[in-house]
Amino acid sequence: MGGGETLLCVDNLTVTLATREGTIEPVKEVSFSVGRGEAVGLVGESGSGKTLMGLSLLGLFPPGAKPPKGRILFEGSDLLSLSPSRLREIRGQKISMVFQEPQSALNPVLTVATQMEEIYKSHTALPSSEIRGRILERLREAGLPDPLTVSRSYPHQLSGGMRQRVMIAMALALDPLLVIADEPTTALDPTVALQILALLSRIRKSSGQSLLFISHDLSHVRRVSDRVLLMYAGRIVEESRSPIFFSTGPRHPYGRALLASRPEGATLTRKDGPLAAIGGQVPPLWDLPEGCSFAPRCERADDLCRSVLPPWKSEGEGRVFCHHPVDTPLGAPVHAA
Amino acid sequence: MRPDTSSPLLLAEGLVRDFELPGGALFSRKKILRAVSEVSFSIGRREVLGLVGESGSGKTTIGRLVMRLLPPTRGRILFDGIDLTALSGGALRSHRRRFQMVFQDPYASLNPRMRVREIVEEPLAVHGIEHGKAARRERVAHLLERVGLSARDMERLPREFSGGGRQRIGIARAIACGPELLVADEPIASLDLSMGAQIINLFSSLVETEGMSLLFISHDIPVVRYLSDRVAVLYRGSVVESGPTEKVFSSPRHPYTRLLTEGAFSSEPATPQGELRSPDSSAPTVSAGSLSAREVGLCAFLPRCGEARPECRILPPPLYSDGEGGEALCHLLQGEIAWLPLHPSNQGRPSDVPIASSR
Repeated sequence: MGGGETLLCVDNLTVTLATREGTIEPVKEVSFSVGRGEAVGLVGESGSGKTLMGLSLLGLFPPGAKPPKGRILFEGSDLLSLSPSRLREIRGQKISMVFQEPQSALNPVLTVATQMEEIYKSHTALPSSEIRGRILERLREAGLPDPLTVSRSYPHQLSGGMRQRVMIAMALALDPLLVIADEPTTALDPTVALQILALLSRIRKSSGQSLLFISHDLSHVRRVSDRVLLMYAGRIVEESRSPIFFSTGPRHPYGRALLASRPEGATLTRKDGPLAAIGGQVPPLWDLPEGCSFAPRCERADDLCRSVLPPWKSEGEGRVFCHHPVDTPLGAPVHAA
Repeated sequence: MRPDTSSPLLLAEGLVRDFELPGGALFSRKKILRAVSEVSFSIGRREVLGLVGESGSGKTTIGRLVMRLLPPTRGRILFDGIDLTALSGGALRSHRRRFQMVFQDPYASLNPRMRVREIVEEPLAVHGIEHGKAARRERVAHLLERVGLSARDMERLPREFSGGGRQRIGIARAIACGPELLVADEPIASLDLSMGAQIINLFSSLVETEGMSLLFISHDIPVVRYLSDRVAVLYRGSVVESGPTEKVFSSPRHPYTRLLTEGAFSSEPATPQGELRSPDSSAPTVSAGSLSAREVGLCAFLPRCGEARPECRILPPPLYSDGEGGEALCHLLQGEIAWLPLHPSNQGRPSDVPIASSR
């Protein structure tokens, strides 16, 4: 699937949670892989399970979670069967995470330098002088022009864009093999968001890390990803190479509908008619319909879709979880007729 | 922006809003933040004006000024020829039903203890519309259906709805009294993609079929481009460019507008060059005492501008007009064919107020 050697392989992962509303499976039979040096975009709306999917890769499960089913193979060993101490080593050192809201992910009462020192002290035996040098180097790599000042600052003294750069510097502190970025641009202004995307791309290309980029913003996913995974109601419903997904178009009707619901790039105005909004809303995970979860909102759905779970259909390097995938390439008018 | 040929529904002239910043030593001079600086615009009937800007650009403050939720420090707001800034109390209240607001966060702007019926009914009661229980109920049912909910939702509580459903309740409340102008502040920022499109379509139909005017405040450029007839681009409290939507977004003249549109409409993979072109918008906390470009009346965008000329560092940017509704506040338009400076006497800002950084 991915280019080159496989770094991460998620194999039929299901996460089960007990909630007040009943037992739910926010991650359901999910399989995908990430190659070394590859950037994979995980797209979905809120409630699709994409954030939980990312956290699962760090072995982090919410309270009420049952032991997950399936395997998460990282460099060949299954993260789900590792001892807590071995998992802790991998977490931070080999897999790291950039969170959505740098404001709440950083400790407000410690300086940037203190927080970064913690990472080195808990994972390495480097002397303090060496650590200080590395911190400044990482901050400079993250595009912060005055690393010394930033390292002595508290998070509240930095702008949102700078805090996110600090988060990225921290995520890269130990040269991880895989960086998971969960909505890293959502809390940022549009022009700053683009800088952060450029930074993530640049760092990945220069150091050969793999990136799992989790986002609901299709235009951002398009900018950074080699491959796209589309999630709906806990399942991956489509996998595609990024250029194909965005130019030929997704094959899953949900992907098509998502693309069409944004006036992205098109010189379309309200005078041309309404946007092709997807009717209804994402079903609650404790009350999923029979068959395909998207069927109640899908224009192509028939009785088969409403009763039988779709099969996986492969095409080239992509695959789609749908009874009636779209065959026509994108390019027809984006708005509803 | 000057008013169009027909008289506009809303005309904002030279709006200024200062905020006193908290803190500072006892007896020291208070620091003033100028959130909105000499902003003028108009909205015609059945027209959508998109107000675009990043956080801290003053777009929310402008929305609140228009709604008269905040009084301006200076400037006038004419609504259908009536100077709202001169009104207060009952006189202002009698006009309020004509302009209503849809808020950004549908979780924070609905009273969680009130049922949907009570929420939508309240403005009717306040403004004395539809006396009688039955008539009101009927009106609420009609409003709910208009925004894509159903009469069955009347006795439900806001928490039973998704973000999109709540935003519909907020819109039903806003249109209950049949306003002529809606002010919507980032109404889809907190919604999912598929919900956002439904809400945009709803706004669009309120303009097209109900003939409402809309001030649409957003940082989402593709959506603003879709929905708006005209746009005004805000940067740190000033309108740096305005004009017909297609003109502004397809041939932006201000470097900041170019930066915004480049990001929104190109699908090019992110490049390190792109990163260099747009340095971070703010340095770590502005130190007191040092004056920023904006404080001395120069272009607020100067510190981020890659195309600055020598005059940008000396003179305030003049306002240029292309005579066809396009305006830009930038030195770069000097000598451009069709672009002429407007009222040069108004150039620059009176520097009687010390202005802090807006970040």
